[in-house]
Amino acid sequence: MSILENIKIALSSIMVHKMRSFLTMLGIIIGISSVIFIVALGQGGTEQLKSLFVGPGNTISLTYLPSEEEIQKNPELLWSPFTEEDIRAIESIPEVLQVVASNEYFGTLRYREKQEDVYIAGINQAYIEVNELNVASGRNLLSSDFLGARRTAVINAASAEEFFGDKNPLGEIIYLDSQPFEVVGVLEKPEGLFAAFDTFTVYIPWETLRAITGDRNISTITIQAKNTEDLQTAGEKAARLLNQIHGTDEAYQVLNMEQIAEGLGQITGIMTMIIGSIAGISLLVGGIGVMNIMLVSVTERTREIGIRMALGATRGQILLQFLIESITLTLIGGIIGIILGMIGATIVSAFIGFSLTVSLPVILIGVGFSMLIGIVFGILPANKASNLDPIESLRYE
Amino acid sequence: MIELEAITKTFTNGPEKVDVLKNIHLTIEEGEFIAIMGPSGSGKSTLMNIIGFLDRPSSGRYFLNGKEMKNMTDQELARIRNRTIGFVFQQFHLLPRLTALKNVELPLIYAGVKKRERLERAKEALEKVGLAERIDYLPNKLSGGQKQRVAIARAIVNHPQIILADEPTGALDSKTSAQIMELFTKLNREEGTTIVVVTHERGVAAYADRIVYVKDGKITQDGSESTPGGGIK
Repeated sequence: MSILENIKIALSSIMVHKMRSFLTMLGIIIGISSVIFIVALGQGGTEQLKSLFVGPGNTISLTYLPSEEEIQKNPELLWSPFTEEDIRAIESIPEVLQVVASNEYFGTLRYREKQEDVYIAGINQAYIEVNELNVASGRNLLSSDFLGARRTAVINAASAEEFFGDKNPLGEIIYLDSQPFEVVGVLEKPEGLFAAFDTFTVYIPWETLRAITGDRNISTITIQAKNTEDLQTAGEKAARLLNQIHGTDEAYQVLNMEQIAEGLGQITGIMTMIIGSIAGISLLVGGIGVMNIMLVSVTERTREIGIRMALGATRGQILLQFLIESITLTLIGGIIGIILGMIGATIVSAFIGFSLTVSLPVILIGVGFSMLIGIVFGILPANKASNLDPIESLRYE
Repeated sequence: MIELEAITKTFTNGPEKVDVLKNIHLTIEEGEFIAIMGPSGSGKSTLMNIIGFLDRPSSGRYFLNGKEMKNMTDQELARIRNRTIGFVFQQFHLLPRLTALKNVELPLIYAGVKKRERLERAKEALEKVGLAERIDYLPNKLSGGQKQRVAIARAIVNHPQIILADEPTGALDSKTSAQIMELFTKLNREEGTTIVVVTHERGVAAYADRIVYVKDGKITQDGSESTPGGGIK
């Protein structure tokens, strides 16, 4: 008797007792859907955390974290840890593709009568590409803006809304710390988790900032490597180089990816434990439900088993029939659970702003696991069915 | 074809041992139409279960086509029930959720017959019992006689050598009983199928060529010549 025939028998007997079958599946549905949902949350969360630590576009940040002694030794570095010469030096490292630099500080933006504190970022050209600053209207800062130290500014969507409302900001003159700038572009509205925290930001060429204020300071340096696998090496080389240039020991540092990976691993480990216990308990309960209902089904169908045996069914075939029935039951529950878990993940994604990933392996594990429950908790009832005495079974009322 | 030698069957009920069959010797030749008669509790059903490979004797030897049952595995017994023997029961024993056609297909499924051939053969068997018009009916839409004819179609669909019928008319009125018995006779005469009918009704046993009387687990009378109260048709 083929598997397909067995599945047909299983489906028809599941359909005869729709309510009973559904209630039996419920434990499996809840178990599998919560696993799918939590795994999706865990994976999405891990991705999100990674993106917080690892900069966009395959980059790594250099940080200046001096010790007390080093601060006393080089007090001026605290205010201006990086220089233009540092950038050029880092650019000469073979693994480095480009260096993203910026000097960021809070200043005031005034437009007509309106004045607010804003975040002013003096950036270099690489910053635009690496941080994916895309303009929604107008144009981005161009090479000519940087090289000519022009008084041009790109503002973010929040600032455009705050200062200009419905008015078109392009071509308008704004004052940043009393210095006039022309607005040439407005950035796209950001999406996702940080959409709500879109602070007022104005981007101007670093060269312009230096020319106006005389401030040669660079507050952040981020390195983009030519190849992903060289990122850590490039970062470490750059840190060593800077320590050498500035005569410091370990003041310049690069984020250690291994430590981050380890930290994330611990978070994931805790997640897995939580998932494991939720899954374990609900699937155990669900499985017992399946076993119970299969035992009821075997008893109810004692006569059917007797008839099938009289017509030539072997014990193995009877065993298989009931085993496939319990697997079908748990598999349907599992599939419903996967779908519900995915729907839940999609809904929650929309609210928390980062995507919950339901990956194919997770789905396959869900399917496999629900089938496994069917086998584990179905074997006892199926075995009971196959060991029935054909004569007794035929007489069973 | 069927040879029973010193067959006994003992049931243990707690400390009590009950000998249901005592030293049964019986030979049935191919193409015979035989009735096993006896009062209830005489052991005739147990005898039929053993003949039908549904049960094993406690002692004695049973040969079917020269092969001894004792040496067979459960799987081989199932195979014989499937291919060599067709069962007909008093309570019809149709699966209630399957149509007449699907019920008749069952033995073919266990025989591993392909779907298309299964369908053809099941239809053919239903035609033979005169139910070609009712193939898509569920058992609860059929009369008792029709149900028993479906059961017979199911019994013959695998072209068995032997049909074992346990009180096949027990749940039917006399007119329908006669139709069913005529069907058995026809199968015996036209197809040469060996028919073994277990019954307590003389009128039913009268269709057989040979009647074996069982009482208290023993064969008390066996033969086609002397058939008290009954007769050969």
